[in-house]
Amino acid sequence: MFGAFRITSPLSGGLLWKIPWRLSTPQKRRQRKRLRLVDNVIQTIDNALKKQNMESTTKLERWKEEMPTEAEMRPKDKYTMFDRKEKRYRKGIHKLPKWTRVSQRINPPGF
Amino acid sequence: MPFFKITLIRSSIGLPKKTQGVLNALGLRKRMATVFKPVNPSTAGQIMRIKELVAVSEVEEALTDAEMRERRRPDPGYYIEKAGIGA
Repeated sequence: MFGAFRITSPLSGGLLWKIPWRLSTPQKRRQRKRLRLVDNVIQTIDNALKKQNMESTTKLERWKEEMPTEAEMRPKDKYTMFDRKEKRYRKGIHKLPKWTRVSQRINPPGF
Repeated sequence: MPFFKITLIRSSIGLPKKTQGVLNALGLRKRMATVFKPVNPSTAGQIMRIKELVAVSEVEEALTDAEMRERRRPDPGYYIEKAGIGA
């Protein structure tokens, strides 16, 4: 009845593998934390290069120009992403493969 | 001379070969491995490729593996008295 191989609907075969349509509150919290961690890395690299009066690198400059920080992002962009096949053009960001290890911050304007 | 202290926090399992290649180039073979790389635009570009996976800080000195291990060593809780200094 209990344990790893208990009989549940998803394990009993068939195509029942449910992914919730939205993130839970702790998932959203961890997502914000991950966004801030990436922001910190960017900040550290930028400060270190500036301190040495070194020229920056294209990837860093483009990121700073194009990507909003966690504080600047709208909640809508933190937890959902654009998808042309979805009703109302939005799906939960957790539907994105490897979503905890990739950066997905900007969406098409107007969506 | 300042260094980037780069620690691999998240595994690269299932990520693109390009990402795994950057980690190999930096010498980050497994999780929680730490490497020191000089601060320069080329290293910065490498870190940008793997920014979601690592923790980065700027330090003045690069430590060897042995030095890092020595710093993790806990206090033994005792010391050995030396005879004949005061008496």
